[in-house]
Amino acid sequence: MNAIEIRGLKKSFRGLYALDGLDMTVPVGAIYGFIGENGSGKSTTEKLICGHLVPTGGKIHLFGKKYTDPGVRARVGALIENTGCFPNSTVWQNLMMQTINLSLKNPDAEIKRVLKIVRMDGEAGLKFKKCSLGMKQRIGIAMAMLGDPALLILDEPINGLDTDGMRIMREILVDITRNYGCTVLISSHILGELEKIATHYGIIRQGKMIQELSAAEMEGRCRNFTTLRTADMFGAMGALKRRFDDVRAGDGHIRVYNVNDTEAIVDYLMQNGHVVSEIQKNRVGLEEYYIELMSRKEGQ
Amino acid sequence: MQGKALLRFESPTLTQRMRSMLGVDFYRLFHTPMYYIFLTIAAIIPAMVVSMAGMGGPDGMAQAAPLYTNMWNIIAADTPLYVVRDIGDYANMNMVFIFGGIMVSIFIGHDYRSGYVKQLFTTHAKKLDYMLSKSIVCAFAMACMCGTYLLGGMAGGILAGLDMDVNVGSLLIALLGKAVMSLGWASLYTFINVVLRRYFGVSITLSFILGTGIPIIGAAAILGNTPALNVFLYGASVYACLSSNIFTLLVCVVISCLWAVACNALGTLVLSRSDVY
Repeated sequence: MNAIEIRGLKKSFRGLYALDGLDMTVPVGAIYGFIGENGSGKSTTEKLICGHLVPTGGKIHLFGKKYTDPGVRARVGALIENTGCFPNSTVWQNLMMQTINLSLKNPDAEIKRVLKIVRMDGEAGLKFKKCSLGMKQRIGIAMAMLGDPALLILDEPINGLDTDGMRIMREILVDITRNYGCTVLISSHILGELEKIATHYGIIRQGKMIQELSAAEMEGRCRNFTTLRTADMFGAMGALKRRFDDVRAGDGHIRVYNVNDTEAIVDYLMQNGHVVSEIQKNRVGLEEYYIELMSRKEGQ
Repeated sequence: MQGKALLRFESPTLTQRMRSMLGVDFYRLFHTPMYYIFLTIAAIIPAMVVSMAGMGGPDGMAQAAPLYTNMWNIIAADTPLYVVRDIGDYANMNMVFIFGGIMVSIFIGHDYRSGYVKQLFTTHAKKLDYMLSKSIVCAFAMACMCGTYLLGGMAGGILAGLDMDVNVGSLLIALLGKAVMSLGWASLYTFINVVLRRYFGVSITLSFILGTGIPIIGAAAILGNTPALNVFLYGASVYACLSSNIFTLLVCVVISCLWAVACNALGTLVLSRSDVY
């Protein structure tokens, strides 16, 4: 059973399709990194899953049931765009309203528990409007975590956070999936952060899913490469292309892919009369892979 | 949280959903200063109107004709008066429905502006639950305003030394009738504010205009003082007057319920077929 299964999802705004036949599969227990450019349809997808928007076409199933099923909906938590808190109410009052909405049996204990998880247990009496951006994001997570959510949908939860805030948020997300068995769908532009926690990825472009893969598959596609410079870049490039399979030029450097032995590269270039002035080992991460994928699709 | 082993999804019944939705809305109502401000306004306005209406003119000037001779006219007119002759005919407990309109607009407007409505609809809450709950809670708030209005009017009347003679049965029916009308009014305002959720200024203005009863007063100026106007909320509210009988109460109950059902059904339909934003 998948936590989220979407087939052929469409959503148009005044005739303009924001989503055009999107397919998506999120396994139970995954931290699913949802990646795409601005306006690619990430937030629209999340809002549709949350029932905030009415789909133009297609099907959404959560845990094998229709997404409108109240039983499933009762176990969905979300942080989309803003926290949905009343600015003049305290953090405690805002959380209390959600506990009443979810009919939780022991609201006080539940609020204390989620505030502890998001490290805000000392701030319950603070008015929401007095909270910093990082605190508001954490309150949003706390709000989404009330009760027993089986699925958390988080839209850009680390945007605007400082380094320490990002670290705290990362630890919280890993904690709730490992210890509470939650499935998390998270969209973010900060791919370096996402790479540290995601178990699965979905890459969306112009309202369509262009690739879904697990972290292990991503790892397999992330290659090592060596960047180097010589006095005669053109000549060195030609020589390297004769010896190695994947040699490219970029950023004023020559890139040699899938060769771990840098000494072999240096020796080969010296044999061919080229002196290496600069050399560095690198690895294609999520960010580079994403940029490469996007440029490839653009090219097509 | 119960851990990763449990992926059970128990659907809450309508009663369970309504209980939680009403719980949230009542919690919000009792924790927002706006509610108490409106209760106070509902008490101060009649007290001011009735005490000022009973005052004499300044020294050396002719005394103006008093607006009220009987204290209970601040609650309701002696007979159903759809055609208004002066401010005395108009200024009575029906003014609560103007305050109520503004209050409902602010109450629902906050839901949308804060984004709280998204939190509600992300979970098990359905559009019908939202409509019903808002209508019931706002009707309760308006009925409470009727209560503070009564207290304010009585205090002002006693201070002004107005006559207190009244048919107690008719007065009670008039009070009850107006309180019952709160449900219809609250449902209408909820519907307006849900439909015009993206246009707060328009929705609050429209609520205010309907609450003043201007369209019905205008219609009465053309049609005359006809009971046919009782099919409208303002008409039925005017009908609950100091000469009311049990039939008046019945009319109020039927009209209020019919408007509540229609507004909630239409509101649910609109919400279900449109995006939350």
